Amino acid sequence: MKPEKAQLVVQGLKEAGVDFTAGVPDAQFIEVYKMLADDPDIRYVGTANEAEAVGVGFGAWFGGKKPALILATSGLLVATYHLARVNIMHEVPLLVVVPYRGDIGDPRWLGLYKKTTEPGLDAMDIPYRVVSRSADIVRTIKECNESARAWLKCIAVILNEEALW
Amino acid sequence: MVTRLALIKELASIVPEDVLVVSSIGNNSAFWGQLAEREANLFHATLGMCTPAAFGLAMALPNRKVLALDADGNLILNLGVLGTIANENPTNLTILVMDNGNYLGSHKKEPGMPTATGGKMKLEQVAKACGIESAWAVQEVAAFREQVQTALAKAGPHFIRARVEALDTERPGKSKRVPDPRENKYQFAKYIERTAGVEILGGGLGNFG
Repeated sequence: MKPEKAQLVVQGLKEAGVDFTAGVPDAQFIEVYKMLADDPDIRYVGTANEAEAVGVGFGAWFGGKKPALILATSGLLVATYHLARVNIMHEVPLLVVVPYRGDIGDPRWLGLYKKTTEPGLDAMDIPYRVVSRSADIVRTIKECNESARAWLKCIAVILNEEALW
Repeated sequence: MVTRLALIKELASIVPEDVLVVSSIGNNSAFWGQLAEREANLFHATLGMCTPAAFGLAMALPNRKVLALDADGNLILNLGVLGTIANENPTNLTILVMDNGNYLGSHKKEPGMPTATGGKMKLEQVAKACGIESAWAVQEVAAFREQVQTALAKAGPHFIRARVEALDTERPGKSKRVPDPRENKYQFAKYIERTAGVEILGGGLGNFG
């Protein structure tokens, strides 16, 4: 992901009011993680795995933070047990932002994630929007976070096509 | 060796009302819910999620003491969190692990199967090696009381492994209904909103609110 597009993700989080993020760095979003780690307005906690990030975000929400999880496509799979639990049993809102590796157009052999990402979110009852154009990144993150907090549900934003590559 | 019930009874007698307690699923939540009827309880943190949740809460509310009432099998599913905590250094966090060395030790009669701590693993040494300097092991009530009180009085993070019997042969009477996760969410969030002055639940009314 080019730095100017990573900057749009961070801008979207800021305009959404997100002030706490957790996750594990990955190749596509590495610029996002670096910007968050350096940002004075958003606390970033680097965790050892994505399930841990779900727990940390869950706890932060109860402390009044507006948390988002920044998860790799593979990391979404690691997070599934805790995400499903948080979303279905506790109904605590966590915004989840994911680069959509493995979608059509991905030059690497990562088609696995085409089979797991959207069906996985559906199975966890997590609504999501796919963002394909960088011009839509900020608005979509804001809208998804607003609905997550109003509905007390996790909501995901997954980036593909021109928004990601 | 001491029972989980004896230590949770002791804990209920010494934890101040405003300390936020995050308890793991199973008998930690079940016993704590019976013995400590208080608003500052967040129950039912599932396998691997108790200490991370307490850590997130401690990060969000640095002026409140937070205690994770965790268990060995629960913690070792996400053991990496100890390294995260050491590096972030939340001074208001105490991790208390009821270590029965056993999966399904919450059963009354049937033995479960050993966790790694039922073998060679010593969690307080793991915590120390991760960088949590205040890491201790206790196995009787007086030492437990002293260690918990010290942890809640001094800057942490603290880690306490309490070795307990493998099976919960002693149980509290069931006189209260422990709230389910959604019910508990509203209770706990409203308590935090009232006592910490933060907004959590929001109005849900959008532009009409």
